[in-house]
Amino acid sequence: MYEGLSSPNIHTPKSLGEYASIILHYPTSSLWAGGTFIMTRPDSYPSRMMNAEIVYLGDVEELHRFQRNDRFAEFGAMVTLDGILNTGKAVLPRVLIDNILTIGSRLITRRATIGGTICTKNFTTSFPGTLLVLDATAEVKFIKKKRLHSRWMQITRLLDRNGRIQLPPQGIISRVRIAFSEKNCQYFREIGSFMLDPENSVAVAFAATLDQDILINPKIAFTYPSHGVCYSRDIDSIFSSLRFPLDDSEIHTLESMIFTFIESSFPNISPLQRTRTSGIVHQIIDSLNEMTLTASPDVPAGYSR
Amino acid sequence: MKIDCTIDGKTLTLSLNSDKPLSLILRENMGDDSQVNHCNGSMCGLCTVLVDGKAMLACMVPAFEIRGRTVTTFDSFRKTRNMKDIEKAYESVGRFPCTECYASRSLIFESLIDEGVTDPETILKELSIVRCPCMDPEDEIMIVHRGIEIRRKRNVRRS
Repeated sequence: MYEGLSSPNIHTPKSLGEYASIILHYPTSSLWAGGTFIMTRPDSYPSRMMNAEIVYLGDVEELHRFQRNDRFAEFGAMVTLDGILNTGKAVLPRVLIDNILTIGSRLITRRATIGGTICTKNFTTSFPGTLLVLDATAEVKFIKKKRLHSRWMQITRLLDRNGRIQLPPQGIISRVRIAFSEKNCQYFREIGSFMLDPENSVAVAFAATLDQDILINPKIAFTYPSHGVCYSRDIDSIFSSLRFPLDDSEIHTLESMIFTFIESSFPNISPLQRTRTSGIVHQIIDSLNEMTLTASPDVPAGYSR
Repeated sequence: MKIDCTIDGKTLTLSLNSDKPLSLILRENMGDDSQVNHCNGSMCGLCTVLVDGKAMLACMVPAFEIRGRTVTTFDSFRKTRNMKDIEKAYESVGRFPCTECYASRSLIFESLIDEGVTDPETILKELSIVRCPCMDPEDEIMIVHRGIEIRRKRNVRRS
């Protein structure tokens, strides 16, 4: 059955310096983090497409580091999602925790890494959208003139025009920095299975501060696994111009504005994805309306929870 | 690629494709097609094995990651004292998994009992990978709690 297939060579660098020298020798090699995405592809094995050189990042010590101060947490790219939950469940933003919890069993989250969830090839997980609304930054290491350089970049800057994460050639994400958010409205919702039904699933991440019926610094990102992340400052500014609670006609207008933008970015989203996106937008607005209406007169709206 | 590992207590040197999934290694190279399913990555949860005592999906573990590690399938695990603890827990709660998911559920229970996890949310989250509806969530939590108790008593008696 597998006649003619050659076994890929596995490189296991112990440091980023060693990684750089391997990449210089084998510039087209594939990177392997937790393997949860690669191994769940139906054609993952036997595969003639699989590159002959695989660089396994699991032994790079620098990528497993985790540090935290009173302003932010910094995770090495190989920190697992379960590791993130164990180390920072009480302090990390709610939207990130909810995103990790929707992934499912610990059998998956114990293997999936934060770097791997951002850098999947031809597929977008729900993580870039969540990190984007949290204003997260990532340290990108890349080879230039045969030397390893690094640069901190915002996740928004890593998105290309099609909503996919685009790294420099032979680049990797080595660290992700997430600020402890003080935003009091954080919302994450995923409908459908990203891994099993990418054509019909959708995830929405939303974060804002609700203060006296208006949203301050709102950010919303829509993720469609086979298309990419849909994010626009225009939608954010529409949200910040609203005064809550919204009535039905205002909700309808907002929804149509959002869909005009989504369909201009991703004209091929399925009808089910459209319906699901609409449902999530309604849920977000309903919860914002509820927060505004239930806030006590003494306490500014949004701080009631 | 040559890979040294321990599978079901046997120390082996296997000559394999380095990216071959563990589920296929167990089926094709070890001939264990009774307990380990190969779902081709659909995350059915039925290919669960213990790798260094932790439950993992065999379809997600490539060959190069089992170098120097200990893999335990249900075939060898069912003969151990630890499995007897889990069977006792099944009996005391009065619920047994169905034949389809018996192996995978038992291995996940073992991983949870070994880790000493008592938080109901964590227990249910770990077991959510098995989609078979043959057990109630309350029963699963009780089985883990009972299993931890039985294991602790056995360890005390031994010491």
